[in-house]
Amino acid sequence: MSEPAAAPTHVPSDLGASMVPPTVVEPAHAESLFTKRFRKFRRLRRGYYSFIAVLTAYVISFFLPLIANNIALVVKYNGAYYFPFAKYYPATQFGQTAIGEPDYRQLRRDLAATGRGDWVLMPPIPFGPNEALLDLESSPPNPPSRLHPFGTDDRGRDVLVRLAYGFNVSMTFAILVTTFGYLFGVTAGAALGYFSGKVDMLGQRIIEIWSSLPFLYTIMIISSVVVPVYLPGRYLLLQPSLWLLVAILAAFDWMGITYYIRGEFYREKAKDYVGAAIATGVSETGIMFRHILPNALTPVVSFAPFTIVANISALVALDFLGFGLPAPTPSWGELIGQGMENLTKWWLVFYPLGVLFLTLLLVVFIGEAIREAFDPKEFSRLR
Amino acid sequence: MNQLLSIRGLRTYFYTESGVAKAVDGVDLDIAEGEVLGLVGESGSGKSVTALSVLRLIPDPPGRIVAGEILYKGRDLLKISQDEIREIRGNEISMVFQEPMTSLNPVFTIGMQVMEVIQAHQQVSKDEAHRRAVEILTEVGIPEPESRMKQYPHHFSGGQRQRVMIAIALVLNPSLLIADEPTTALDVTIQAQILDLMLEMKERRKGASILLITHNLAVVAETCDRVAVMYGGKIQEIAPIDALFKEPFHPYTHGLLGSIPSVDGTKARRLTVIPGSVPDIHSLPVGCKFVTRCPYAFEPCPDIEPPLIEDAPGHWVRCHLYPNGGKPAIPND
Repeated sequence: MSEPAAAPTHVPSDLGASMVPPTVVEPAHAESLFTKRFRKFRRLRRGYYSFIAVLTAYVISFFLPLIANNIALVVKYNGAYYFPFAKYYPATQFGQTAIGEPDYRQLRRDLAATGRGDWVLMPPIPFGPNEALLDLESSPPNPPSRLHPFGTDDRGRDVLVRLAYGFNVSMTFAILVTTFGYLFGVTAGAALGYFSGKVDMLGQRIIEIWSSLPFLYTIMIISSVVVPVYLPGRYLLLQPSLWLLVAILAAFDWMGITYYIRGEFYREKAKDYVGAAIATGVSETGIMFRHILPNALTPVVSFAPFTIVANISALVALDFLGFGLPAPTPSWGELIGQGMENLTKWWLVFYPLGVLFLTLLLVVFIGEAIREAFDPKEFSRLR
Repeated sequence: MNQLLSIRGLRTYFYTESGVAKAVDGVDLDIAEGEVLGLVGESGSGKSVTALSVLRLIPDPPGRIVAGEILYKGRDLLKISQDEIREIRGNEISMVFQEPMTSLNPVFTIGMQVMEVIQAHQQVSKDEAHRRAVEILTEVGIPEPESRMKQYPHHFSGGQRQRVMIAIALVLNPSLLIADEPTTALDVTIQAQILDLMLEMKERRKGASILLITHNLAVVAETCDRVAVMYGGKIQEIAPIDALFKEPFHPYTHGLLGSIPSVDGTKARRLTVIPGSVPDIHSLPVGCKFVTRCPYAFEPCPDIEPPLIEDAPGHWVRCHLYPNGGKPAIPND
């Protein structure tokens, strides 16, 4: 508890100010609490760099169809330009006999052989996430090679590409579940804490009953009734099965934060600024959501990364058990399941688990740094 | 003078596990237009609860206004709807609280908090609200209001925050300002400034009244026109300021005045102390609430509650020693 060294020579600013001629004093830079905390977060290197890494990877993962795909970016065929990544062309368009999507890697070899100046521009990694590469020498799963650094899985699909797509799926899923779970949980907690009394009593009992429902059995029952289907060619966010699973998980995930927000509301609503706001005629919803909520968000922000971790793990677990997203959605859990069935194929065990571990670790680092950035006791520990 | 606010038979009880606390038990009080009325009493005498009852800010549960009426410009504030009382709060009647350090929301800028009141009650554009916020902050003496509007409460000192609270309370030109111990939490040097500011702001708004709640008789002497003394949830004495200080009627008021040092007196005087402490609010005496501490208590006091009577013009007292022909019944030492 030592004072800063400069303290004894410090002149109290009020006294000092009255002695200097009345010049225009530039007021201290107006900095909100959030800016302050973000600045502190940025100082915490490990968490901040993890945040940058995860954020960058996540943003990039939305452009994966342009980076790792078996569909060409640009085709110049008979002098005309085609953009297959944006528009579907049947194989016959490019003189191939197959039904459906053309084999663009084959097309590239064919067009290069003709020497007419036609060409195909493939993505940097020319393999799709759901494409079975059955033309390799041995039968799948194939061990890592120069072309497929992480090997292929038991259906001959490139593990690296599937892991990359799986990252997008996992993060998107976890963020969606967390968002919806928190939206509902925070609203419920706010209502319980603000209205208190009978609302609180009744609400808590409902939550207790609800949280005692066995989550896993519910999932099994629902997925045996509503058979999740994979709609090929559709963007991930348009898959109804994704939203079904998000809804189910969010429905079982909101109770945790509710108790924290309820407590925050109980504490905050007794504070003077709330009374002062009521006394100025602010409406009830204004008090709840404009005045109290921003002061009650600390648990939301500091728990969110850990909830994301939990939800990534939840999806992996569900996929592993076969109750997750329908095949052939690129999924980490499904790959880990394959690894368990093929324990001798080390690349099916090592890479999916490694990627899962790394992601969870980085997100935990972020969460840790956020928690520390929100810690008001800056000097609570001896360093 | 027209009565702006008339409180009649107000009873606010708190229902707690240890019984019913009759914090306010039959208070009658009038505030005239343009008047500064002081409401004085010890902690727990019910003065703050009276003020909160006016704006219906009593937390329910555990508190409830069980009886009485509060007539504001002829309307009973206890009978109107939630929306109507919300319209009155901050607009017609506003309040300044004791704790400037915690009465502002820490996550919003000062500007947002001043503008919020304006926009809660009037359909004005953001620019107009901003302009008026700057105006009122200038008026309450915040230097460089434009740039300070962008700052957060933690950039302001206690005195400045109380200035902001007064700005928020007065920006819509209310007819009544309730100030609940507005200077208690401030430095002595700042206290006078804040009181002056409140009176100055009142002067500029002709006809505005102030209900000043305090336990500080010095504050009352400087600022108020009339004083009501509360004890045990009841008004014990109401008098014009001069009469109360020169000839206090009630033994309790007498005790209060005897417990403050005077600087003008020539003879050295021992400060007197009111013996005992405020009785437990759950078990107040049946008769006079002050009987347990009153040096003049006699036979009817413990059992019969004295009525509030007007013994001298405008000078009301609740004590069995009165009527006494408009003179104090207690020797002035």
